[in-house]
Amino acid sequence: MSDGKVVKVALIGNPNTGKTSLFNRLTGLKQKVGNYPGITVEKKQGFCKLNETVKAEITDLPGTYSINPTSLDETLVLDTLLNEENETFPDVIVVVVDVENIKRNLLLFTQLKDLKIPTILVINMVDQMKRKGINIDVPKFEERLHTKVVLASARKKIGVEELKSAILNYKELDTTPVSKISTKIDKDFFTKLKSALPEFPLYKSWLLITQNQEFDFLTDTQKKLVTKFREDVVCIRRYQHKETIFRYKVINDILKDSFNVDASKATNLRGILDRILTHKIFGYVIFALILLFIFQGIFNWASYPMDIIDGAFADLSAWTKSVMAPGTFTNLIAEGILPGIGGIIIFIPQIAILFTFISILEETGYMSRVVFLMDKIMRKFGMSGKSVIPLISGTACAIPAIMAARNINNWKERLITILVVPFTTCSARLPVYAILIALVIPNKPILGFLNLQGLTMMVMYLIGFTAAIASSMLLHKVLKVESKSFFVIEMPNYKIPSIKNIFYEVVEKTKAFIFGAGKIILALSIVLWFLASNGPAKFKNAEATIKAQTENTSISKEVFQKKVASYKLEHSYIGYMGKTIEPVIAPMGYDWKIGIAIISSFAAREVFVGALATIYNVDSDDGDNATIKQRMAAEINPKTGESMFNFSTGVSLLLFYAFAMQCVGTLAIVKRETNSWKWPILQLVGMGILAYISAAAAYLILS
Amino acid sequence: MFGTIAGLQIGEKAFIEKLCLENIPLKLLEMGCLPGIEVELIQRAPMHDPLYIKVNGSHLAIRKETAEKIIVSK
Amino acid sequence: MQDILVYIALVIAVTFLIKKFFFKSKSTKKGNCGSDCGC
Repeated sequence: MSDGKVVKVALIGNPNTGKTSLFNRLTGLKQKVGNYPGITVEKKQGFCKLNETVKAEITDLPGTYSINPTSLDETLVLDTLLNEENETFPDVIVVVVDVENIKRNLLLFTQLKDLKIPTILVINMVDQMKRKGINIDVPKFEERLHTKVVLASARKKIGVEELKSAILNYKELDTTPVSKISTKIDKDFFTKLKSALPEFPLYKSWLLITQNQEFDFLTDTQKKLVTKFREDVVCIRRYQHKETIFRYKVINDILKDSFNVDASKATNLRGILDRILTHKIFGYVIFALILLFIFQGIFNWASYPMDIIDGAFADLSAWTKSVMAPGTFTNLIAEGILPGIGGIIIFIPQIAILFTFISILEETGYMSRVVFLMDKIMRKFGMSGKSVIPLISGTACAIPAIMAARNINNWKERLITILVVPFTTCSARLPVYAILIALVIPNKPILGFLNLQGLTMMVMYLIGFTAAIASSMLLHKVLKVESKSFFVIEMPNYKIPSIKNIFYEVVEKTKAFIFGAGKIILALSIVLWFLASNGPAKFKNAEATIKAQTENTSISKEVFQKKVASYKLEHSYIGYMGKTIEPVIAPMGYDWKIGIAIISSFAAREVFVGALATIYNVDSDDGDNATIKQRMAAEINPKTGESMFNFSTGVSLLLFYAFAMQCVGTLAIVKRETNSWKWPILQLVGMGILAYISAAAAYLILS
Repeated sequence: MFGTIAGLQIGEKAFIEKLCLENIPLKLLEMGCLPGIEVELIQRAPMHDPLYIKVNGSHLAIRKETAEKIIVSK
Repeated sequence: MQDILVYIALVIAVTFLIKKFFFKSKSTKKGNCGSDCGC
């Protein structure tokens, strides 16, 4: 073999077969996650050294039960295997099957095998065989399946070396198909198909005509032929059913004399756990307790690293200003870029903790029970049991939550989930709520053990959740989206989670957030900083104007500087923007300064607090170290003479932030996931109207 | 006696007789729900939907509306 | 000098945002397209 040769390997298998464990075992940290061009599915690749000169480039394809796709993720498996020009088209396929579910797992194997691509069968979790009384006749298996069989346990590190050497010698693999579907279904039909597209293996042609999607790699003539064959839908559907039945027959034949299970060894741990975890009362109680524990984790444990990050970035900004030459670029870094990056990093602890919990729940198999338990309830709101995961994730951040909605097969259920997730109280709202509650809600005990401020925070969560549920009910009634999808999920066996898998999962999800949403937040921070520190003529003449105003009074240099800064902000581009929207936001009780904060918080909601800090910092005449809260409390509304942040404005702002779609990152993700402008715009407008009306109503009633 | 999966008692076993092919997704067949195969109802979710079944060695949850389309014989 | 750097940063940021929102609709696939979900 030549130097530096790379073997392309596609790792395929049903969900819950330990495929990811095997991928992590083979590649370690040499992984990269990218996106497939044009679609949103993540592409996971890694490298593995096979010997001194040959490397394997392993692509971990999404888990699927069959080569016929039913979700976006699964479409990818088909695309990868049909298009030979695809850069991930494999030299060899490694099919991972779970020893306990071998019959169903082999269906996918027989489909793949018929594509005439070299294929290796990995039977995973063999360390369980003895305990479960399973016996496999490997040589017979290999003979009947025309393949190389590797017995492995990714977790126990069994069979990994054997698999590597099998990959290395992939050219020796037999590519004979296992099941000759053509003769068993309709000989004439398949003969016609074969002669129409003689350049492809028969099974590939069959797959081409049975799918609803366009295949870009086909020539125009091929496309025409494929379209012609697709016309007889009823016939094709019937053949597909026949094919599946036939494949199971072949599999049963093979298993009959090479695989047996000693039924007496079966334990009923699964049955017992199922009965408790899906019990009509205990099931919900356990789920509620787990949720409570997760929220506890997100809010209490994450607050320590978040405080450290917050402080570190403030120090870093100050330090940058002290070491770099003064000028606009230094200001951009210290006031725009660094706080922008800090605003992204600060979410990492919460997101990492949340995904640790979620991946533990998924790895153990518990999540499927939650889906089972919640499906009927969620369906009343037009969602699916699978919507529970996005809705929980939404309490940390809507962006990963919306991505988590991908595995909902039904398009309408998925769309409703995506649309309502931004109502859940994400962590970016917390700093806003915290400061507003501290300002306008008295800190006094209620009923002896509850605190009024804490209670208000809880009410805010309930408001968000109620809004999500109510709007999903509305959307369920109103949306006319055609979707005749169905619901079938596997209830996997309970497993002890693998720390390694959880770690990789959390790292991957966190990275996806930082590089996906983070870039948008950062870019917007830069733009907003620019708008706040530049302006038309009046902005440029700020110093002269203030000098003229204060000519006859004696003020300190410091006060003078603050007056200039305040004048500048008022006459900066963003100041003008705030003033422009002032008439619009006046019914909610806001002035142009709050307008600036609202505009700025489109980067991320928590920027509201920082923006107000800047505004009032530069606004106050006494240069002492009063906290942002005290400065806000001292702000007087010039029209009423009362405190600006009184009860009515405070409640109005709380409601506005609870409902308004103020997050560019989320909008971008919704646009990407729905591949349409329609839905993010609907969210922006719909949520905006709700926020406006409720905030204005609250202000009107309370003041 | 004929019925549908939705009509089984918990713990009851039956053989799949017929699937209404036009209405049943291919995926269900691919996951092992085939004519002639034994199916066992393991559990019903609260409010009797979805149903948790064991078929062909697979443990699956399907909605009642799907289960009603799978004819079984006891 | 610093002003030039600021404008460069601004142009990069604006280009990125515009690209992210307006020019990423090349994808041809819509929603979930499998043989069973009728889209």
